[in-house]
Amino acid sequence: MKRRQVLLGAGAAAVLQGAWTEALAQGKEVVVGAIYPLTGSSAQVGIDAKQAFETALDIINNASALDLPTARNAGLANLGGAKVRVVYADHQADPQKGRSEAERLITQDGVCAIVGCYHSSVSTTVSATCERYGVPFVCADSSSPSLSRRNLKFFFRTAAHDEMFSEAMFDFMDALKAKGQKIGSVGLFYEDTIFGTDSSTVQRKLATDRGYKIACDIKYRNNSPSLTAEVQQIKNANPDVLMPSSYTTDAILLTNTMASLGYKPRNIVAQAAGFVEKPALDAVGDKLVGMISRASFSEDMGEKRASAKAVNAMFKAKAGRDMNDQTSRQFSALMVLAEAIDRAGSVDPRKIRDALAATDIPGEKTIMPWSRVKFDATGQNTFANPVLIQWTKGRFVTVYPFEVATAKLAWPMNA
Amino acid sequence: MTASALMQILASGLLMGLIYGMVAVGLSLIFGLMDVVNFAHGEFMMLAMYATFGCFVFFHIDPVLALPLVAAVMFIFGASVYVGVVRHALRVKVNAGMVQIFATFGLATLIQGAAQFFFTPDYRNIGDNGWLGGKTLELGGLFLPLPQVFGAVVSLIAFGGLYLLMKHSDFGRALEATREDKGAVALVGIDSNRVFALGWGMGAALVGVAGAVLSTFYYIHPQVGAAFGTIAYITVALGGFGSVFGAFAAGIVVGLVEALTAVVLPPAMKSMGIYVLYLAIIFLRPQGLFGRL
Repeated sequence: MKRRQVLLGAGAAAVLQGAWTEALAQGKEVVVGAIYPLTGSSAQVGIDAKQAFETALDIINNASALDLPTARNAGLANLGGAKVRVVYADHQADPQKGRSEAERLITQDGVCAIVGCYHSSVSTTVSATCERYGVPFVCADSSSPSLSRRNLKFFFRTAAHDEMFSEAMFDFMDALKAKGQKIGSVGLFYEDTIFGTDSSTVQRKLATDRGYKIACDIKYRNNSPSLTAEVQQIKNANPDVLMPSSYTTDAILLTNTMASLGYKPRNIVAQAAGFVEKPALDAVGDKLVGMISRASFSEDMGEKRASAKAVNAMFKAKAGRDMNDQTSRQFSALMVLAEAIDRAGSVDPRKIRDALAATDIPGEKTIMPWSRVKFDATGQNTFANPVLIQWTKGRFVTVYPFEVATAKLAWPMNA
Repeated sequence: MTASALMQILASGLLMGLIYGMVAVGLSLIFGLMDVVNFAHGEFMMLAMYATFGCFVFFHIDPVLALPLVAAVMFIFGASVYVGVVRHALRVKVNAGMVQIFATFGLATLIQGAAQFFFTPDYRNIGDNGWLGGKTLELGGLFLPLPQVFGAVVSLIAFGGLYLLMKHSDFGRALEATREDKGAVALVGIDSNRVFALGWGMGAALVGVAGAVLSTFYYIHPQVGAAFGTIAYITVALGGFGSVFGAFAAGIVVGLVEALTAVVLPPAMKSMGIYVLYLAIIFLRPQGLFGRL
């Protein structure tokens, strides 16, 4: 071996050594995928989701005094302070795009888990892909009940599904009837993808079981340029409670069309989605005063959960708006996932899966009204108690369950 | 279904139909003139909606007054699109059809992306803040939303004006002549490039008027063009590519069929009526109701 070669070798070794210690000092990186609509008609949801995840990362990756899992120290303690990084992918509300993006994140970016996807239709394909590759999928904000009924081993849903939500709605109506209100009929109005159809299936069954007449049952095409004929049918039926399941565009159009046809629904109990989105409330909020929606979160949650207020402030500083039903669930999903990765002490997807399955976080350590986070055999968190919130002038207040209500219920919405 | 409810649906269908016609006519005009399908048509409309919204928010000009302004801006925009993009796409020697399609299709993607970047994907709304917003005309149980009545009236005026322009002005005759034979008009001293640019300007101005009208009652979003773009293509195919009167008649037909289908079939399938009609036309009368082949 010549002297030059020895020098070269030694030099290379020194460089490698340097790189290695640097890598150790920085700690390993934990890469998580997030698949959301970043362009297309639901783009704002994805952009808000990004801010929710960045808020969660601020808490996970930096030392914080908040009483949330993984908050105390910087990074994940059991992985030597490794930082979590989220890689974003865009599904444009298209299940096929969601599938291919999931594949790309798993095979090329090497993510150890995926969070998503807002649209239930996309969560369906993404979770199936994750299952095939053996990578955990944490469903943050898709609420179709059928998602957790496919015997998937790698599927976990932190928030409630529409059956739990709809049950709360009917419990609420039953309670009102017991108090002497007259509620005879409900009107179902839902969009034609898996979110709307699943939601209506549950509501139809609950209404029949509990003796409510279904005054109208209208499935409509989402993103329609006009909803006049549909609203005319609702107007003719004039149900005591209108129960819409709609995304943002349709929620705006429905509200405007009802107003222009001179129809004031007696009551609205909405399956969240478009009806709790800021753009819809900015646009037509004045016509929706008194509307009730199911929710996982409301701004007044800070009165019950100390950390909720602080987290909302952090989020608001980034996004310029309060946390809502969606963003709070996205935030919580990433926190639950980070806690599981930390407990697994590994980035091996299978170990993370087992850690998720063993998750048991008390409700006080979340920002949600949940009593705890604990998954059943199907991967559903059965302790995610839903609440109902009512839109008053400019803000939501919690009105049901009555024991956690922060304001007095206004009923009916339009006499 | 009561008689008054049916009347309501027909009236709403008619009002929307007149607006659909106005959305579609610009597309038809450009195609008739030079056999180019403008795939960015819906995006032109979206830009006009944002222009109207901008006038309203920054200069406090109500959409009703902003309408001619928006039309003028869109005219300039349409003419520049011809000069800057389409003219070059027309010059290619091979695969001319493909190049034209991709030129306007690419433009559509560009405009959408730029709109999302600069305007953000938040839903905008003029709504009740404008003069017309939220007001409804009630005629014996029939509810006619004022913004849509306004849209229908503007549509009638626009079609009337367009008819006069096409039939009784030199420009209209030049347009007609250029469309018949581009080579021959060059011989008599008409600059076909200039006519094409004016044609694109007019097409864009017309969809601009439609956009300004729509922004009084519809949400504004970078993707809003898609919902109306599809309807515009069907309307044009139904009325006959290149026929101004065809776009007018087909717009009304599409509006009525759409409204009535929602009564007969489940509303989720309400576009089916239009597509069935569209297919029937393709098979039975491929040139459209009033088109020439």
